[in-house]
Amino acid sequence: MRSSALKFCKRHHLVDIFAYLVLMLGGTLLLLRGAEDQGYYWQWFRIPKFLYEFEDGRFIAGPILEGLKVTLNITWISLILTYIIGLVTALMRLSNSLLARGIARAYLEITRNTPLLVQIFFMYFVIAPILDIDRFAAGVLALSLFEGSYASEIYRAGIVSVNKGQWEASYTLGLSTYQNYRHIILPQAIRRILPPLTSQAVSLIKDSSLVSVIAVYEMTMNANEIASETFLVFEIFFTIAAIYLALAITLSRVVAYFEKRYRVVN
Amino acid sequence: MGAKQFGDYIVRVDKIGKTFDNGVVALKDFSTNIRRSEVVVLIGPSGSGKSTFLRCLNGLEEIDSGAITVDGIPLDDNKKNRLEIRKEVGMVFQHFNLFPHLTVLKNITLAQMLVRKKSKGAAEDEAMQLLKKVNIAEKANVFPSQLSGGQQQRVAIARALAMKPKVMMFDEATSALDPEMIGEVLEVMKDLAIEGMTMVVVTHEMGFAREVSDWVIFMEDGMKVEEGTADHFFTDPKMDRTKLFLSQIL
Repeated sequence: MRSSALKFCKRHHLVDIFAYLVLMLGGTLLLLRGAEDQGYYWQWFRIPKFLYEFEDGRFIAGPILEGLKVTLNITWISLILTYIIGLVTALMRLSNSLLARGIARAYLEITRNTPLLVQIFFMYFVIAPILDIDRFAAGVLALSLFEGSYASEIYRAGIVSVNKGQWEASYTLGLSTYQNYRHIILPQAIRRILPPLTSQAVSLIKDSSLVSVIAVYEMTMNANEIASETFLVFEIFFTIAAIYLALAITLSRVVAYFEKRYRVVN
Repeated sequence: MGAKQFGDYIVRVDKIGKTFDNGVVALKDFSTNIRRSEVVVLIGPSGSGKSTFLRCLNGLEEIDSGAITVDGIPLDDNKKNRLEIRKEVGMVFQHFNLFPHLTVLKNITLAQMLVRKKSKGAAEDEAMQLLKKVNIAEKANVFPSQLSGGQQQRVAIARALAMKPKVMMFDEATSALDPEMIGEVLEVMKDLAIEGMTMVVVTHEMGFAREVSDWVIFMEDGMKVEEGTADHFFTDPKMDRTKLFLSQIL
């Protein structure tokens, strides 16, 4: 009885894989067909030199990889800022101070209910001259503030989800609010919010392409320029899409690994 | 128990009142005084305000009226007073509330180091001694989830004792336990009482109340219905309500 059920499961699995392959193949054919119908002349062979070149055996990064470097810089700096802003905002919203809650509330309403594109323009044209910062910093700041508002909700949900008894136990033992967050609440909350915080990092990678609108020379900006010079529109944009995809998937995998390692029995 | 010596009043509760946000009145003009080394047991039907009373004693719940002092310190808006009372009043919860991300040992050393500013070594020595006292020293390095309910509750008692509290409160400490584990926790509580710890205990374990307590308070609807020594209370209750309650649970 049991073994026959097992067998069925296995066969079911094979059918699944087969169906998956058929679907993928069909999709690819459809795409190729569509491109052919448009009469698009694919010139993939021209792409590598925009990625990299070898001159006298020396590796030289092309504009796309140069842009990737900037994209990565924007991403990791923004990511750190996002996590800090998110945490601070979440703690402000949970605090007893009316002022802190009010500020957090206003910030969240504004950043979450206006387009990121507009926020980037606003940061660059209005705020940046006041603070005297360059376009890179303006872009990073706009991104961090935008993503930070979403991160703060994730933190808040994580913090609130920690059992009330934990707060009571640490209060009773005489821990201060700071000690309570630092040693009791956040260590437990972090394990729950790691997955949603990662997807925040992934959307940050993708949204970083939007700072191209204020002429920060990151990957999308460079791709745009190449595309308008060479008309290799599809090849270039597919290429950078693949790079974004690879980045995002790598990141998810890394975090999935850590998540597994630091899981606690609860 | 007659030979027991009590000290001066350590907890003074003067006409406290508490109404929850949803309009439920939990405590009405409730007064009582507790002497050093006294074991006071609060009994009564659920919703009678026993747990709320405990939670008011260390400021987990705010009182609306009246006054509480612990060892001469008033429980008021002054943060320092509050912290002092939180340190001096230990609490054991129905659901243990151990910190799941810390080992048993760290559960017990954390507050000693953070609040009492003890060195790691001193805190660990203290923790090991307490774990021996509650008969669970061999579990020092496991996580709470690997322990049975009874074991967890004994660790929770050790954690509270590590702060060297002057008063220990037990909020239905055995209610969430399987029957076969209730005994081991009550045993630890009884030892504490014999050592002279001041204890305020909310419980449904009438055997424990009868044997260990010095004073029994029966509550209903946030008020005292009847109080007295365990002998008086269980053998010769005066109020009809008390008689009815006792007949239902004994």
